[in-house]
Amino acid sequence: MASVSDAPSHAERRRATEHESFLAHKGMRWLKIAIGLSVAAILGYAFADVEPRPNGGTWYGYTLGTIGALLIVWLALLGVRKRAMTEGRWSLKAWTSAHVYLGLALLVIATLHTGFQLGWNVHTLAYGLMVLVILSGIYGITVYALLPQRLSSNRREMTKGQMLESLAAIDRQLEQAAQPLARDDADLVIDALDQDPFAPGLIARLTGNYRHCRTERALDALAGPMDGRAATLDPAHERVVVLLRKRDGQLEQIRRHLQLRAMLEVWLYIHVPMTIALLAALTAHIVSVFYYW
Amino acid sequence: MFLIRSIDLTATGREIVREREIAKADLSIGRAAENDIHLPDLAVEQRHVSVTPAVGGQLRLKAIGNLGFTVDGRSTSDVTIDPSEGGELELGSYRLGFATEEDGRVTVTVRQAAERETGKADELTGFALASVMPGKRPLAWAGVAAILVFFLALPIWSHLNRAKAEPDFDKPGAVMMDASWRTGSLSSVHHALEDNCEACHVEPFVAVRDEACLTCHKDIGDHAAQNRQSAARGASEGLDAVQWDVAHAFNKPGPGACTDCHTEHEGPGRMEATAEKFCTDCHGSLDAQLADTALGNASDFGKTHPQFKALLTTEAGQSQPVRVSLADKPKQWDGLRFPHAMHLSVTNGVAQMSRRLGAAQGYGKPLECASCHRPTADGVRFLPVDMETDCETCHSLVYDRVGSTYRTLRHGDVEQMRADLLAMDRAARRPVVDPRRRTGQPSDLYRANFGGPTTASALLSRAMTKDGLCGECHIPAAGSSLGVMPVTQPSRYFMHGWFDHEDHKQETCISCHAADKSEAATDLLLPGIAQCRTCHEGESSRKAEVPSGCAMCHSYHPRTGAAAAPPRIARR
Repeated sequence: MASVSDAPSHAERRRATEHESFLAHKGMRWLKIAIGLSVAAILGYAFADVEPRPNGGTWYGYTLGTIGALLIVWLALLGVRKRAMTEGRWSLKAWTSAHVYLGLALLVIATLHTGFQLGWNVHTLAYGLMVLVILSGIYGITVYALLPQRLSSNRREMTKGQMLESLAAIDRQLEQAAQPLARDDADLVIDALDQDPFAPGLIARLTGNYRHCRTERALDALAGPMDGRAATLDPAHERVVVLLRKRDGQLEQIRRHLQLRAMLEVWLYIHVPMTIALLAALTAHIVSVFYYW
Repeated sequence: MFLIRSIDLTATGREIVREREIAKADLSIGRAAENDIHLPDLAVEQRHVSVTPAVGGQLRLKAIGNLGFTVDGRSTSDVTIDPSEGGELELGSYRLGFATEEDGRVTVTVRQAAERETGKADELTGFALASVMPGKRPLAWAGVAAILVFFLALPIWSHLNRAKAEPDFDKPGAVMMDASWRTGSLSSVHHALEDNCEACHVEPFVAVRDEACLTCHKDIGDHAAQNRQSAARGASEGLDAVQWDVAHAFNKPGPGACTDCHTEHEGPGRMEATAEKFCTDCHGSLDAQLADTALGNASDFGKTHPQFKALLTTEAGQSQPVRVSLADKPKQWDGLRFPHAMHLSVTNGVAQMSRRLGAAQGYGKPLECASCHRPTADGVRFLPVDMETDCETCHSLVYDRVGSTYRTLRHGDVEQMRADLLAMDRAARRPVVDPRRRTGQPSDLYRANFGGPTTASALLSRAMTKDGLCGECHIPAAGSSLGVMPVTQPSRYFMHGWFDHEDHKQETCISCHAADKSEAATDLLLPGIAQCRTCHEGESSRKAEVPSGCAMCHSYHPRTGAAAAPPRIARR
């Protein structure tokens, strides 16, 4: 925004003070509650009179297990709750804040519930899924805090539509510019133009490593090592190479955007399905314990 | 110098290309007809963009009015492009391509886009990761289905439909996938049941019952009569009562069920020893619950535990041993005259005798406890002292020599002894007894103290006196001239606790048994509880060398023999 002056306008100042991250909601109320809950659970674990050793099968273990199971169900309900936004005491922001901090407290409570007895069974499966969900959630919070800044700076004030428009404009010019080229070179350009920038999958998007990029291949072929070619390119080739470089630059921006988007979104593909699987494993865990009681 | 190339489409889709030259250094573009490039589109301003030359053959494109334009996809109102690198100006539905020809002229190709292509929402979805990922819902449902089928439905279905069979230690269970339900390995004694969950978990949602345990542990006895046990336990109160209410609501048995004390699935290895608390629940305040009990309260070995009671004969003529508390400082009557102190002295004649017997005989040094007391094979207790092996080397019963062979009285057989000695009298023969040949003689063999040279009948008449042949060690029995009181050597004194000498090997004997100061056989050399407490205190003691729960010495289930011993001892 070129028009932004040094002193923020009145409206901006007001909005800045009004905005409060869900992490800092109400002076970190839920962080305090979560820490209190965790400390209480740890103290109880240290001092509870359980025989023969702390685990899920003692009175304290069942207590922690009940709290943990209720927490898991409530935390999973964010998926339902977030589809209805309200304000005030039970605002979605408060709910999300509680979701994050109570989710972290759940890691403490459930770990104490296990009594550190883990094995290859459905009980540890439930625990493992829960840990995965919480860790992916921690990752999610982290990238939400760090990446939007970078996503915004990568945009360079272009919308996603403009990025595509720009690519399309370059492509049209490339098509014109490549007219004088011989068959082999023209095929390289056609290949590059035909390649869908959105086709690459999760790994390529996350790593930003596009090994089969035809634009880069065309660039390498047309402008690469000059073996067997004239030391300087003829003007037609020159134009195509310049445009391919422009295309490569534009792709770079799009791919950077894809990478940041992928990093911002990938955790949900663990967090959400694993939560649902966790609910199933939790059911199996509880039913099996009482079935073989 | 610009070359303007306009490309129009005919109704049939054929392209019409018109070219014209503009010999100017700059251009104006807009909807008005007087512009150099005239674009009849309402979205374009009358005078929209001016094109002026910039340094190095570049062109500056600048909006004349307020409305901007798009160059290479980017909205702008003032931009400099290099036509040799290309550039595309988009105005309304028109696209103007800038390019440098070989002769240096700048070509502007004007064509009208068939339709606007911006704002294609479906194209923008490609930016989202979702466009290349399987949906979250299918992933979630697949996980849910797999978990519920394999970890819930399959075990339950096969448990409900299994053929009912007597639990069998040797057969694997019939329930599928229930290994995934195992909360931890079974203890080593129950290891064979690892794959046979339903042997113990018989009914769904019914906690393991005592009957399941008793299928194998048939002969286990009750700790006490059930009514005595419940009376001793008393009514639970407070949090305890709440816990039991909850447990019963969830179909748990107890109190007093096997599983109350014996917890399983705690990992491989030995079963967890039962905690002190399970005993002290009753025994900590037993006198309050059971007024008539003979047992003292025991809540912690270091703090509250009765003095030991030993089973022994305390006086002559007792037909049955009695249990007496060590607190009463009882005397033991074992039918022998035996001063331990004299035998353990390192300076007196006994010590000298032992030295002279030499290592070849198993002696050579002053006597030690082990000279006479031999442990049992398991090391737990000691064998009775045996006259022939442990005493006779010194207290010899040799009474005659024929050539190089010594004749010995048979210990324990009074009539045989009488006959042997009387037979010796018939032949006139030098008595074997020769005080001058007592010690240090080539035979290296001590003989019985027959007194001075005498006849066998005289010897027999003196046998029971304190210095006589038998009376030196034995106490004469009334009513028979040669009879002795029976000798008792208990192998076990504490009938309700288990003491293991093997585990106390690092101690010396006299650190617990004050034998070196005992002048009489009637001294009971058992250590009291205070002696044990120098190392052993209750399970929760922090300063004790050996924190000791009840189960270290006591067994809950009364049986006889080694099976009644705590596992620590029973394993031997």
